[in-house]
Amino acid sequence: MDTNSITTQTVNFKVFRFNSDVDYLPYYDNYTMEVTSEEVVLDILNRIKWDIDGSFSYRRSCRHGICGACAIKVNGRSTLACKERMNDMIDIFGTQLTFEPLSINRAVKDMIIDKADFWEKHNNVEPYLVSDIEENPKAEHLILPHDAEKLLEADLCIQCGSCHYACPVVEINDDFFGPAAFAAAYRFEADVRDEAGKSRLENLHSQKQGVWDCVKCFECAEVCPKEINPIDKITKLHQMLFKEGVATSNVATRHAVGFKRSIAKNGVLDEGGLVLYSEGLSIVKHVPVALRMFSKGKIVPPWAIVKSKNLDEIKKLVKSSSTAKF
Amino acid sequence: MSIPIYTYDAIIVGAGLAGCAAARELQNVGKKVAVITKLHPLRSHSGAAQGGVNAAFSDEDSVELHEFDTVKGSDYLADQDAVEFLCKNAPETIRWAERMGAAFSRTPDGKIAQRPFGGQSSPRACFAKDRTGLTLLQTIYEQALRTGVKFWDEWYVADLIYKDAKASGVIAFNIRDMKVAIFNAKSVMFATGGYARCFKINSNAHANTGDGLSIVARHGLPLEDMEFVQFHPSGLSGNGVLISEAARGEGGRLINSDGDRFMTKYAPNAMELASRDVVSRAILNEIREGRGVGPRKDAVFIDLTHLGRDLIMQRLPELRDLAITFLGLDMIKEPILISATAHYSMGGIPVNIAGNVRKNNNEFIEGFYAAGECSCVSVHGANRLGANSVLEALLFGRYVGKTMVEEIDDIELRVACEDDAKTALAELDWILSNNGDEIIANLREELQQCMTANAGAFRTKETLDIAVAKVKELRTRYQDVRIKDKSKIFNTELQEAIEFGHMLDYSAFIVESAVARNESRGAHFREDFNTRDDENFLKHTMAYMDKNGEISLNYMDVILGKHELKARTY
Repeated sequence: MDTNSITTQTVNFKVFRFNSDVDYLPYYDNYTMEVTSEEVVLDILNRIKWDIDGSFSYRRSCRHGICGACAIKVNGRSTLACKERMNDMIDIFGTQLTFEPLSINRAVKDMIIDKADFWEKHNNVEPYLVSDIEENPKAEHLILPHDAEKLLEADLCIQCGSCHYACPVVEINDDFFGPAAFAAAYRFEADVRDEAGKSRLENLHSQKQGVWDCVKCFECAEVCPKEINPIDKITKLHQMLFKEGVATSNVATRHAVGFKRSIAKNGVLDEGGLVLYSEGLSIVKHVPVALRMFSKGKIVPPWAIVKSKNLDEIKKLVKSSSTAKF
Repeated sequence: MSIPIYTYDAIIVGAGLAGCAAARELQNVGKKVAVITKLHPLRSHSGAAQGGVNAAFSDEDSVELHEFDTVKGSDYLADQDAVEFLCKNAPETIRWAERMGAAFSRTPDGKIAQRPFGGQSSPRACFAKDRTGLTLLQTIYEQALRTGVKFWDEWYVADLIYKDAKASGVIAFNIRDMKVAIFNAKSVMFATGGYARCFKINSNAHANTGDGLSIVARHGLPLEDMEFVQFHPSGLSGNGVLISEAARGEGGRLINSDGDRFMTKYAPNAMELASRDVVSRAILNEIREGRGVGPRKDAVFIDLTHLGRDLIMQRLPELRDLAITFLGLDMIKEPILISATAHYSMGGIPVNIAGNVRKNNNEFIEGFYAAGECSCVSVHGANRLGANSVLEALLFGRYVGKTMVEEIDDIELRVACEDDAKTALAELDWILSNNGDEIIANLREELQQCMTANAGAFRTKETLDIAVAKVKELRTRYQDVRIKDKSKIFNTELQEAIEFGHMLDYSAFIVESAVARNESRGAHFREDFNTRDDENFLKHTMAYMDKNGEISLNYMDVILGKHELKARTY
């Protein structure tokens, strides 16, 4: 809406319906509505419930993007219903819009999903300041703005689950904590008041559940309605794991260290060497692919690597910045 | 049917700041405590508080000034002993929240930063950018979780077990599957939040349906000062979503369609930072007199462009985002459209400073406590000062938790039985099976429209009589309600029907209390009695509802103190 006019347009909605109490399979209902330029996605959900079908169900509370209850998917993309302008949805997807729950596999009723896995994972990363709380303090901790900013807005996460249910690893690995839980873990690890020591980090380092299983697809950063950028926090946690000496040698951490070793050795990346370092003897399984890539000129064999001209300087930089122990 | 009975030492209803703070106190000393919430705790409306939380700890400020501002802001209806308690304990409470992890904004030397707010003698609102409530809610929930508090989320409390001046638990159902359970305990606390949802234009969450108040009132217990509903000056045009007072605290200017900074007429000294009731009426008056702006001419401008991009991004980023989302206007580049919005409930369940719920002016209920917006201590009187609500919820939540710890060992558990659930079960059964032709969404729309039009920031006997009649009419029509959804899983239509019943009940308290208060005080402004009348109305309303929904009114003395009655100007 600008200051003078409110516009309307006709939109067709295809809406996921399922009541696990009575329905064997989900189905879709179609609604056509006049949508005004003032409306957000939640307004449409409300109008379906209040004007058309009272049984239609979804979670919502604050209606201005701070409680995190109303995340759904519009045309397959996670969104916070109360913060998503209908005009923007129409600009992106046109006037045929599909509303679905964040995770169809977990649908319980219409837009409502069972989020037990989300909360369980959230609770498993020690999502609180670990500190002996002074119950009657006479003064606050002094925290310089520079230190306060280290949270990098991770404290703005509203646990809406948009990133969690957009994450491809969460979909295939039941143990994986997921981007929201990592952002929560980072929020406390970055807090100068936190005294958790290594316990939270060790948990985050564990295979299958931990940060090393992130595939760096950036989907979490893409969908976050609060622009928290979870993958940035995951990367920070990777660095913390090395810095605090929690990272132990495994295929994922060696993959990270392999980059450093290659750069320290040649000043440029030796992809074959990187795979050899991270996977060791298992590299044999990659030989057929490597040969084909070599034949097409996609990779350079280790003996043909041209070292960087400023290698001495690069070595100094790597030495001064790396905290890897292996 | 057999109903499970869960036994705890203490049951807390509501998981916002007050509920979580109390739960942590109880759990910390090893009491078995359950917190029941119809949402997930982190969805509680405390998290929506934006601008700040008051504590007088800067060198230029004092606890006494904080008290004075609060009492003056309240239009002298606040109980001064309670205000003293609030202001005295504010600095420690804020620092305690900081020690628990709250992510406050900081001064260059690392202290908690403070900003000016309306009606304050000194910059006193501690803040975390413009999401102060969010960091406090997260912090207190996290620390309650850490101590091992058991949270029952997405459970709806339908009734209080109350008889013989003693509370001993609640009846609740699991929203996921409608299974009913009895929660039996020595002590029960209500921390269920506010009631502004009965107005069409309001800043509140969908969840703020005043359930706790109506559940209490249905047991014949009083509600205090219900006529006092705060209309916040800056709700976004059209939907009432809040733009924090921080926008004015940081320097926002209010402008009408003539381009005039109209607060010069209404509060020449404090200007935009006059008390909320004063600024809201000024805005609505400008609109009424034809100087509104926007597509419906139902708003005024707030201009923040002179603050510059850096300050807005540093201190008001969420507010900017809200105006872009709902109005398509970027406050860095252009003024945005605001108007008054029903925001905060000064009235509520009457309690003393310790949090004990009153049975009447002189007697208290054993094992029953309340804190936060659902309660009326009263620290806000007729009008709450900005940045005092979050403080009240956190501080009284915590101290009422301490009261519960002190009293709990002297309370004998009254063992619950299935019969205690019969009212709640009958209500559920009635809504599921009733076969009329009224639809909840329509009835609610009529109530909200009527309340905003007739019981809003400007009231007269005439308009309030219309509202009284409308509430009665809707009460009758509610008997003919029919819901479509008869299923057991997340029956949100059934939940909305119960919530609407609660809205109807407490709305009757608002309008009946308002029509009897023939004066103007704080947020209650009667155009037919436009001055404060201390001789007749320096007293709290204590209203009761009988089984037929009829309201009867009584009054209770205000506790005065060192801050003497004065005319209130800004």
